[in-house]
Amino acid sequence: MSILFDNVRVYLGGAFFPGQKVLIEKGKIAAVGSKVLKAVDLTIDGQRKYLIPGLIDAHTHLGLDDHGYGCSGNDLAEQAQPISPHLRPLDGIKMRDRGLDEARRAGVTVCMVCPAPYAPIGGQCSIMKTYGNSADVGLIFEQAGILMSFGEQPKHNFKAQRKFPSSRMGLAAIIRETLMKAQDYFEQKQSKKGVKERLIQMESMVPLFEGKIPIRAHANRVEDIMTAIRLAEEFQLRIVIEHGAEAHLIADILARKKIPVIVGPAIIPYRKTELNEKTFDSARILMDAGVEVALTCDYPGLSIETLRVAAAMAVQYGLDEKRAMMCITETPAKILGIDGRVGQIKKGHDADVALLSGHPLDIRSKIEMLVIDGEIFTF
Amino acid sequence: MRTIIEKGTFFFQGKFQQLGRLVMDNGKISEVNFASGKAKKPKAATKEKSDTSEKIINCDGKFVLPGFIDAHTHLSLEEEGIGYCDADLNESFGLATPQIRAFDALKMRDKGFKDALSGGITTCMVTPGSANPIGGQACIIKMRGNVAEDSVIKESCGMKLAFGENPKKNYGEQKQFPCTRMGTAAVIREWLMKAQDYSKKKKMKDFKDRDIKLESLLPLLEGKIQARAHAHTADDIITAYRIAQEFNLDLVIDHCTEGHLIAKELGRWKAKTVVGPTLSNRSKAELRNKTFDTVKILLDEGCLVAITTDHPVIPIEALSLSASLCVRHGLEEERAIKAITEYPAAILGLDKRLGKLEVGYDADLVIWTGHPLDARSVAEAVFIEGNRVL
Repeated sequence: MSILFDNVRVYLGGAFFPGQKVLIEKGKIAAVGSKVLKAVDLTIDGQRKYLIPGLIDAHTHLGLDDHGYGCSGNDLAEQAQPISPHLRPLDGIKMRDRGLDEARRAGVTVCMVCPAPYAPIGGQCSIMKTYGNSADVGLIFEQAGILMSFGEQPKHNFKAQRKFPSSRMGLAAIIRETLMKAQDYFEQKQSKKGVKERLIQMESMVPLFEGKIPIRAHANRVEDIMTAIRLAEEFQLRIVIEHGAEAHLIADILARKKIPVIVGPAIIPYRKTELNEKTFDSARILMDAGVEVALTCDYPGLSIETLRVAAAMAVQYGLDEKRAMMCITETPAKILGIDGRVGQIKKGHDADVALLSGHPLDIRSKIEMLVIDGEIFTF
Repeated sequence: MRTIIEKGTFFFQGKFQQLGRLVMDNGKISEVNFASGKAKKPKAATKEKSDTSEKIINCDGKFVLPGFIDAHTHLSLEEEGIGYCDADLNESFGLATPQIRAFDALKMRDKGFKDALSGGITTCMVTPGSANPIGGQACIIKMRGNVAEDSVIKESCGMKLAFGENPKKNYGEQKQFPCTRMGTAAVIREWLMKAQDYSKKKKMKDFKDRDIKLESLLPLLEGKIQARAHAHTADDIITAYRIAQEFNLDLVIDHCTEGHLIAKELGRWKAKTVVGPTLSNRSKAELRNKTFDTVKILLDEGCLVAITTDHPVIPIEALSLSASLCVRHGLEEERAIKAITEYPAAILGLDKRLGKLEVGYDADLVIWTGHPLDARSVAEAVFIEGNRVL
């Protein structure tokens, strides 16, 4: 189906341009401009409203929890096993979770889904679109990273079970141990002999050592972030920092090492020690230093509908609107390695766009229509 | 930038004496002189732009000492003012955990770092606690920096081994092995034995099956890191020594509470001991013979002795206080100072770089308003590698 958005203000390269047309064909953006002329199946009169690229949340647990169904719907994490790199979100995602409706209503078209941070190595990270009758429909990458968790959450989880690891030292050690094993496994697999008895945990770690995927490190405190980086450097692996409540305190180091940070959720109380330094200013401080920053709601840590609020709060604390928008569109796409197809309204990109009644950083603006891969949702 | 300290009483070459000037340049002590005089201009041999600015501090009437060293602390592992819920002191459910490293749990915003500076301490060894027979790797850091990497001298300097009440209590309460001293020694011996065999196995071609625990024990067997034996009672100290002999380990006895009871033996072995925290109470049976006399007795027998606070067991600021209590019990002032400067440096293997005000040594020094063993004296200025940190 071909769709033409007529007379819209289009968000292009950091600014809105009025009186534009956007043509969508076969799920892709076919043309953008003021003089697009083509017979289409559906013309939408934009009435000078705002058209933005679909928003991206680069860190969620969308669909793993089944909103409103308590523990029977909860597949957030394997809590009793410290090392589970072989867990795959797709096997736990429930596409009829209310969270997905909320995501679409919030204009979020792409998200990364990973297990919750209860284990030092918690599982794989998948990237998907927020629609479809099954998770496979909008799947972009099934294996897009391995979640490793540092700090209070995994440590308290195992301490309560009276199991190793119960300290930061133990967390670092068990992750280092697994990486060491995986490195040996990877080298064995590369060698002539090969591996005859495959280990599913180690197989899941292979893409890390092939350089195909990064470590996604849940870390808030400076110390935890540095430990994560130390481990990544020891094994020469790529790394992305998740949450990073104290990341702004070492912005210079992160910039020098070119390590991106997925900041948030900031709109929560200081309920853990490791959140003591949390501030809405951290996106600005990090970006001023040259760090790539994406904002996240950490759904269900926070309702996914607050993604725009997070960006607006950053503006309130001094970030300019252009960079605030980048934090929920272009930059997460870049961090996820999918900036060639999503994150901007651009010819050839996926047809993921949202039509708003007003400016996207004005919380009163409503997302009236959302398109994902050419499929229309109205609210 | 060069910093010049003029006049004042210096602890120099093992005694308090009046010096003319001491120059700190490029992080090191570059000049120590009895006479004050005009500074020699640094040679303009290199054409590189160097910061030739100078700062002169007059210390007339004050005391200038090398930064103190505490050779056994848990600084920032059990973060102060946060409580047990976020403590990283021990990995209590692991039995033998040689793979864990204190360095991975340092918290640079811990209040203890500031307290250390007010106590004139510039270097600390930080070790995991004593819940496990093999407790993990200790590190050596200076009291500065935003991240642990800024502070580090050695990421891994020693392997914590724990004897006596703590490990057997921890596992005994969990109704697990080991709940006796025999069991504790057996666990340590078993892992060292495994590590010896592992080191042979590793030499085989195409070895691709690393074990992180045994990997972590290799540097200990190779003498690259020390065995740091937590031992209070005379018998536990001897057990530690017995095992160290069996596996040819570079042994340091930590706490050494009953060391004075076996001073002759320890002297004969030229033992390295880190004594303390003597200011704590006698909370366990193994502390019943604790006394401030231990340091003097062991030094007299020829041991290398450092005094420790075991921070946070007693606050790190009390290091000089611990030393002065030893003086009250008969130790000479000079040796008391050495027991918190050059002796711990020697025990940590850093005696070529720390613990003395000598040319070529790190410019880690403290300016005190009065005698450093007088509790009323204030550490007025602290320098680490030439930079003022307090």
